[in-house]
Amino acid sequence: MRRHVTILCSILLLGAFSCSSVKKQMAASAEPSVEIDSETREVLERINAVSAYEVPDLDLREDADYAKTAHQFEPFRHVEPYREHFLVQMEYTGPGRAIPEPENIETVKLGFIGPIMSTVSVATGGKSHEEPLGIKMLQGARLAVEQANAKGGYLKRNIPFELVVTNDNGLWGASGNEIVNMAYKDKVWAILGTIDGANSHIAIRVALKAEVVMMNSGDTDPTFIETNIPWVVRCISDDRQQGYLLVDYLYRKLKYTRVAIMRSSNRYGRFGVREVRDGSRRLGCPVVLEMAYDLGLEDFSLQLERIREADVEAVVHWGDASEGARILKQIRAMGMEQPYFACDRCLSDEFVEIAGDSAEGVICTYPWNPTRRSSRLEEFRKAFRQRFGEEAETFASHAYDGMNMVIWAIQVAGLNRAKIRDVLAHRTRSWEGVTGDIVLSAALDDVGDVYLAKREDGRWNFYSREDLKIPSGPIRAEGQATQPLATAQYR
Amino acid sequence: MKYFVCVLAILSVSWLAPGSFCEAMNLEAADATGPELPFVYTNWKHFTVKDGLPNDHVFALKNDGTRVWVGTEDGLACIDKLTGKIRSWNEKDGLPWRVVSALEVNPKTGELWIGLFGGGLARFSGGRFDHWNQLNSGLVNDVVYGVAVENDNIWAATTAGASRYNTISGEWTIYTEKNAPMEEIWNYGVCYNDGKVHLGVWGSGVLEFDVATERWKDYLDPDGEMEIDLYRDDGIVHVITTGTSYVEGILWVSTYFGMSRYDGRNWRGYYAHETGLPSDFGNAVKGRNGNEAWFATDKGVGVVADFETDTWVTYTMDPNTHGGKAVVSRGKDVIKTVDMPKCIPHNYALWVDFDGNDVWVGTSKGVGWAKGSGYYERLR
Repeated sequence: MRRHVTILCSILLLGAFSCSSVKKQMAASAEPSVEIDSETREVLERINAVSAYEVPDLDLREDADYAKTAHQFEPFRHVEPYREHFLVQMEYTGPGRAIPEPENIETVKLGFIGPIMSTVSVATGGKSHEEPLGIKMLQGARLAVEQANAKGGYLKRNIPFELVVTNDNGLWGASGNEIVNMAYKDKVWAILGTIDGANSHIAIRVALKAEVVMMNSGDTDPTFIETNIPWVVRCISDDRQQGYLLVDYLYRKLKYTRVAIMRSSNRYGRFGVREVRDGSRRLGCPVVLEMAYDLGLEDFSLQLERIREADVEAVVHWGDASEGARILKQIRAMGMEQPYFACDRCLSDEFVEIAGDSAEGVICTYPWNPTRRSSRLEEFRKAFRQRFGEEAETFASHAYDGMNMVIWAIQVAGLNRAKIRDVLAHRTRSWEGVTGDIVLSAALDDVGDVYLAKREDGRWNFYSREDLKIPSGPIRAEGQATQPLATAQYR
Repeated sequence: MKYFVCVLAILSVSWLAPGSFCEAMNLEAADATGPELPFVYTNWKHFTVKDGLPNDHVFALKNDGTRVWVGTEDGLACIDKLTGKIRSWNEKDGLPWRVVSALEVNPKTGELWIGLFGGGLARFSGGRFDHWNQLNSGLVNDVVYGVAVENDNIWAATTAGASRYNTISGEWTIYTEKNAPMEEIWNYGVCYNDGKVHLGVWGSGVLEFDVATERWKDYLDPDGEMEIDLYRDDGIVHVITTGTSYVEGILWVSTYFGMSRYDGRNWRGYYAHETGLPSDFGNAVKGRNGNEAWFATDKGVGVVADFETDTWVTYTMDPNTHGGKAVVSRGKDVIKTVDMPKCIPHNYALWVDFDGNDVWVGTSKGVGWAKGSGYYERLR
């Protein structure tokens, strides 16, 4: 009988020993091929330890305020809302982490979707117009992939990354088909794109169902991230952040009270000015007039006459550079001398070329400071120039950052879509990109600093909130909700 | 010593086969119901790839007499309820596209209508697949999220609008922002009952189409803000809707931010922090009647078992033991917990369909069949 007990115990011990050996082997094979910080290592250990049924115990990001929204910009701020969303990070609770890394692959495919070929666009009501931005975005993404391949590609297996390029042609729904193809036919590990807000929304709905990371580097539509999809990350500050800064500057710094909006009649214009319009109202200075125009319009006199009649102190434009510049020229030609403010798309060579001397004094919002001193940024620009013979602008720079974040996540997590998501979504440190430090909110949105750029002496100068001493924080003391803005006490 | 060996053997068996051990330990399940309690499903059967499913990632289910159709990420399947056998179809068998995201059976003809995720719309009838897509028909987009049968019409909720196909005349009608009150056109779910079609539109709440008058009515979150719900019961809790179900004049709605119920006059919002919902992230909803609805969420299945008393049953599976648990609650107050050997196959639930007293649940890791012998409505 003792012999039986001994045998049984030996079997149990052997079993236990073999299990621990397997775990050690698994841990060894899961060792990332790049250096990682201790927090990421902790994330990696936890996501590698779960089965298809378990959800790893990962710390979730929590924000006290959604999108760093100051109290005065909160909707219905005098009422406590029943429910506030986006304050706690969404989890991915599906079984995807248990899917093993495939063996027989020759490249690691990365998806790209953006407006790179000219088409007819339903979203814009005519010819598509975002190709110059999309091509720059593609160049930035391509450079990141090429640089990664020059360093050995996917280091764990020494195979190259391959960029799968698709066109986001502006037809609503087309981007959905492209994402489906990339997810199921090309079997990409993550996707970078797009620019147009409508296409981006369609793409992320597909990404959620297909369970693939969607990194966005070019769509500044605030609602893009307001969908609770745990597979979406954005590495560019949105129109909400830029709108907050502009509104504070207009009303709290410059003390304007009468501002008009001129915007494009598409999703970019419609959603871009929402925070400007709402913020103006919430600061007690509702926008006097909001005029929309169809894309491609040459004569804006109908809208501008009404703005002139409204006797406003400033005009805010939200739309593309070409229209923004033509509107500015017509404003000046009509003898209107109001200061002209615009969105980040107007900070471009095209705008300056069309607007000519009128561009002087224009102030644009901007999601980053491209004049900041950074060796990382300089190296990127040099490499970009060498590769493409052109200068890297904002869409190229953000795409470069976004694709580098994705590549980093793959090097760390391995070829598993859920784990790629995990290391990106649970990264605790900011990403040091060429566009600056990318800090993600609980909604996985970039809430880093935004800037105002002023055209001065033929060049754009960039100013932070601190540079311009723009007030922030609550605008009125408690119980003084009806106090006139001009006498408000700042703190 | 003999006893020691026996104990050791039992322990080792339990260690090696935790599932069967837990099943043996199921004592409470039979005592699941009681006074003033709702019916609790304790008898579950699972179907996965091991049983013949083409893929475990289940997007849609449709009960159809003695069989149940299963739409997966990699093929269509049919479970024979009498034998438990599974037959499947993939692209090599004529299925136009592998990812099946929606299923509906035309009760008049028995035809199966299939929404394909990126592949358009298909009909399976007489062993043949017919295929419609955005290039050969009036289907507005190939990314189909939902399918519904309304009289002789087939509705497809796509990522770029809704299409209505008349199977008699062959006529297609497309609904987008141009002819319907779609603030956004990203349709997600569609259902038909009692003369009304309800579309769950991502970013545009719920749209109701009255078949008799062909008029639209929209239901939006009155506060109009994405980041808050100002008042819980003032309307739909959020405009990012994922599913609708209309039964006995009651509209049930799922969103990624909570759920809603509408009786034609009053709204009621549901959030996880105050109900038996396992999560606010609702993938789908199916109303059984005006008092009972099942919500498939990313953290289990939440059932409003009795609307009036706010009584819930929450079904989850233990990720470690794979055993199941049903929690009966009034609001958030737990009344009873029922452990069971099996429950839903995975906590990431994506679909629910009713089958008489039985319920079918589609998850990211297979199909769960809850057998409802002795099922009763509301409380007892």
